[in-house]
Amino acid sequence: MAIRLFAAIDVGSFELELGIYEISPKTGIRKIDHVRHVIALGRDTYKNGKIRYELVDEMCKVIEDFADIMKSYKITGYRAYATSALREAKNSQIVLDQIRVRTGIEVQIISNSEQRFISYKAIASKDAEFNKIIQKGTAIVDVGFGSMQVSLFDKDALISTQNLMLGVLRIREMMGDMQVSTQMLNTLIEEMVDNELNTFRKVYLRDREIKNLIGIGESILYLSRESHGGKPVEWITAEEFIIFYEKIKLMSLDQIQDRFGVNAEYAALLVPAAIIFKRVLELTRAEIFWIPGIRLCDSIAAEYAEEEKTVKFHHDFSEDILAASRNMAKRYKCHGPHTVSMEKYVLGIFDCMKKYHGMEKRERFLLQIAAILHACGKFISMRKPSESAYNIIMSTEIIGLSHMEREIIANVVRYNGLEFDYNRVQLNEELFRNTKGELSHEDITILIAKLTAILRLANSMDRSHKQKLSDSRMNVKEGKLVVTTSYEGDMTLEALSFNQKADFFEEIFGIRPVLRQKRRLS
Amino acid sequence: MADISEIYYNPDNYVNRELSWIEFDYRVLSEARDKNLPLFERLKFLSITASNLDEFYMVRVASLKDMVHAKYTKPDIAGMKADEQLEKISEKTHELVSLQYSTYNRSILPTLKQNGLRVISSHEDLSEAEGRFADTYFVRDVYPVLTPMAVDSSRPFPLIRNKSLNIAALLKKKSGEEELEFAMVQVPSVLPRIVELPVSESGERSFILLEQIIERNMESLFLNYNVVTTHPFRVMRNADLTIDEEEAVDLLEEIEKQLKKRQWGEAIRLEVEEKMDKRLLKILKRELIISSNDIFEIAGPLDLSFLMKMYGLNGFDHLKEVPYIPQQVPELMNEDDIFINIRKGDILLHHPYQTFDPVVQFVKTAAKDPEVLAIKQTLYRVSGNSPIIAALLEAADNRKQVSVLVELKARFDEENNINWAKKLEKAGCHVIYGLVGLKTHSKITLVVRREEDGIRRYVHLGTGNYNDSTAKLYTDLGLMTCNPQIGEDATAVFNMLSGYSEPLHWNKLVVAPIWLRARFLKMIRRETRNAAAGKPAHIIAKMNSLCDKEVIAALYEASCAGVGIQLIIRGICSLKAGVPGLSENIKVRSIVGNFLEHARIFYFENDGSPELYLGSADWMSRNLDKRVEIMFPVEDERLLERIMHVLKIQLEDNVKTHILQLDGTWEKPDKRGKTLINCQEQFCEEASLYVRAELGRLDPAGSRVFIPTESQG
Repeated sequence: MAIRLFAAIDVGSFELELGIYEISPKTGIRKIDHVRHVIALGRDTYKNGKIRYELVDEMCKVIEDFADIMKSYKITGYRAYATSALREAKNSQIVLDQIRVRTGIEVQIISNSEQRFISYKAIASKDAEFNKIIQKGTAIVDVGFGSMQVSLFDKDALISTQNLMLGVLRIREMMGDMQVSTQMLNTLIEEMVDNELNTFRKVYLRDREIKNLIGIGESILYLSRESHGGKPVEWITAEEFIIFYEKIKLMSLDQIQDRFGVNAEYAALLVPAAIIFKRVLELTRAEIFWIPGIRLCDSIAAEYAEEEKTVKFHHDFSEDILAASRNMAKRYKCHGPHTVSMEKYVLGIFDCMKKYHGMEKRERFLLQIAAILHACGKFISMRKPSESAYNIIMSTEIIGLSHMEREIIANVVRYNGLEFDYNRVQLNEELFRNTKGELSHEDITILIAKLTAILRLANSMDRSHKQKLSDSRMNVKEGKLVVTTSYEGDMTLEALSFNQKADFFEEIFGIRPVLRQKRRLS
Repeated sequence: MADISEIYYNPDNYVNRELSWIEFDYRVLSEARDKNLPLFERLKFLSITASNLDEFYMVRVASLKDMVHAKYTKPDIAGMKADEQLEKISEKTHELVSLQYSTYNRSILPTLKQNGLRVISSHEDLSEAEGRFADTYFVRDVYPVLTPMAVDSSRPFPLIRNKSLNIAALLKKKSGEEELEFAMVQVPSVLPRIVELPVSESGERSFILLEQIIERNMESLFLNYNVVTTHPFRVMRNADLTIDEEEAVDLLEEIEKQLKKRQWGEAIRLEVEEKMDKRLLKILKRELIISSNDIFEIAGPLDLSFLMKMYGLNGFDHLKEVPYIPQQVPELMNEDDIFINIRKGDILLHHPYQTFDPVVQFVKTAAKDPEVLAIKQTLYRVSGNSPIIAALLEAADNRKQVSVLVELKARFDEENNINWAKKLEKAGCHVIYGLVGLKTHSKITLVVRREEDGIRRYVHLGTGNYNDSTAKLYTDLGLMTCNPQIGEDATAVFNMLSGYSEPLHWNKLVVAPIWLRARFLKMIRRETRNAAAGKPAHIIAKMNSLCDKEVIAALYEASCAGVGIQLIIRGICSLKAGVPGLSENIKVRSIVGNFLEHARIFYFENDGSPELYLGSADWMSRNLDKRVEIMFPVEDERLLERIMHVLKIQLEDNVKTHILQLDGTWEKPDKRGKTLINCQEQFCEEASLYVRAELGRLDPAGSRVFIPTESQG
């Protein structure tokens, strides 16, 4: 049967969710069952930094039930992802272990950017609307329990994304003990939201025109609900949303519970969520608000479907990543023409060395991004550009790259300017366990070494930043990588540098790079 | 929302539900009094009025008594406090009982005799030969199971079991002491209440009641005494189960405990034979702590429910309605399995005119089908030896996921349900014992099946319980469908019942207690608005009981706006119909027939795009607020037409219909010059017509036209 049954589990900050999906090339992704269990893991984490045993126990029981449901559908695969509540909990490892031991379900913690990326994929899986909406300036606003994410499109590519610590549960917890009137509380929340958003606007929004807003995340799903269990709202204009906000602002918790069909705990989160969306709409001056009704489980299914090649997307996600990286390079004033040649050189070397390095398409892609970003550290410090670049990359989210991929790129860029030491490659170990990393530490070290070797060599080829070798040709002959250029001027600097980097390159690949200047006989 | 003015909520405009219920029992009684009915059918109706009244006392009167004890003084919908209601009820039920017995004595007994059946009311009337027979029967079969009990200072007054029939006696020692002693014996419920005596020479069959035989032989139970007087009596006790669910750790255990307690609740009604010895009555009254209002002096045999047994006697078929055999369902009269047939289109089942088998078959087929992944069902009242339970057990054996919600709070069926529940659990089914604070009254079955093109869900939704024996007597509607939107909702219903959060939205189903009330009010008010705007507006609603204040107020408002409202209500109706300035446009009718009207149908005109729903809920507060109920739309044109036809015929019925009058009484319509329409009979005929039509279609000879096969070239 060409139909796969897939289960997605979302261990969220406020709820445990299980979605059962039917995935087939013919009908795409179809949700056939969906259950939710309210459990406020996030409350523990954001307040005390740990998840209590009682909650872990409850969580295990529910996940055990989930496993039964999965079994009853005879699913062929599942993925269970945990987000910020577990990510930030100090005892997350032991919690995950408990779940594994007691239920047999492997839960993976996904990083924020991974989470955002897969929800972005789920939006993109709604092809028709998505492709239409991103023709005009668009921002995706994803308000979660722990944080919110704003991602910006330029033309049809996603170019930047920022995570703001403005999750609804987090806001609620911060305001929790304050004894003030509801009105006052709303004003306070609004101020807090404004403060964060204004900085964001100054730095990232300056001259972008945003016409459309795409709202995702838990809370908007509730806000968009119709009363009496009807179909949720999908499109709403900014004015309509403001009117809606004015209405719910005045509602008591009871009324909110009734109107949106939520329990009391949840009801308290809806007004902060509405405030956030309202302020984002006002700040961006967006006109149309689209609520595609995406839940994390849907996103997990979309990711699985794409990886299993059961469903094809029209949107090119690698273009997004490249566009975002280029945008980043521009922000840190990297030398444009130099970056362009670097991209060209690394890919040239990669391609002609294919037989010898054994790397695949995704690694090539990481190399390309490393080339784009290799010089961003100079923006911070001319003396220690490598360390600075590493830090910049590590603290900038790039939607579409996993945390591990980003760390690989950051290391490649770092060792571009530092002595490479196999035993000193540092990885943020903690983040690796239970994330989606499938490679061992050693494998990653080797991968970093390989990519570094190529990047270094390519960098030497434009040592003077003058694109002298722009017409060069590369091929491997008799155990040598021969770079031939017809540049006729002086290229001493390049040749010197090339030779320096050639040693490391040979050490890694067993191939000696040779630079040849083809002199035309006059 | 428009302002609903004061009058719609004024208690004066409502009828107390208990008094309205008594009216209903009167309507059943009127069937027993209807000389046009076959004699034995009248026996049955008379028996029903008696068992109805028993249940009414045990549940309704009992809870009113509880209210009085608890000093609860909040008035009801009609502004009556509990003690006022009890007073009125006592008055009304005494009238009802005397009408019951005058029917029995003056009409039923003589007619039985005319038809060759002699019921001997008193053992003194036995002939000598009959007396000998009775005494032999007593010695051989009755005496061994009797437990006579005497009361004196060393032996306290015995506990008298709820609803048991007993004989009280006053004894006098043979030794000659003057003092009278009280003694009693329970009429054993293990023996048949009706005892047939040898057929007389004239061919007349004679019967006597068991208690008469015991009374006749009372002396032999108390050998050292002279029996001064003996009289049967019967006690009814408070049986309303009130379970503190938050406290009850295990619902199942708690209910078992309560069941035992039920035997010994406070006495709320004492029935004694008319002209019982005053001394005897005084003792009973004192020992049972019962007030005069709750004592019924009965002019005939106590507990008329034995008439149902008499109905079952062999040899009187000519005095009974010809038993109706539920017809086949045309859509299923083929070789295909039930899933294929459902895929061809939604199927409507109209019970008992059509057989309940497809529902059983649905679960049975699912239990065996290798592609079925899961079966989920709510079971409220199940019959003993239910084939559905058997099928579910089989499904669990076949490693299907079986989830069953067994409602333990179904009144008087708890004992039955607990057994099934345990059995299912043992077989590996996932059994949910109801929800805290809510009764699950919805009737829904979901079968999840893996098919070529993905998961497909088959759903059966009904207005009646999954009970194959009551399905022969209750008129209900059921829908079988594989509409994906309903399937999705059905899954969501079961997820909710398993304790998960509510679904994000519903496609088609409307579920109580959260959404149903608001939805009904919204639809009624939509008609009100339409009428106010001069558009056509019409509501037809059929249900068992109507007593929710908010709904009634909305109906009053709709009536005032000019909405035509036709209600078909079997039982309680707290609404006043046809009151000028309040409910002129509301007409209420009640059908009491051979079958128990049970379906709930709701029709709303909706400005020319009518909406029709079926459901499990009445317009009662308890259904809308304290129960899980499901209402589902019928959208298929074909099915819609059929249900509209059902409503039409029910509204035209003039044989079994009573119409609610302005003064609150119910009258049969004037039939003079009109064609008689008995809707239940008509539906019976139609169901066999459908079958014949289908057979005709299937049988090539039936069409009387030969269809030549033409050359394909």
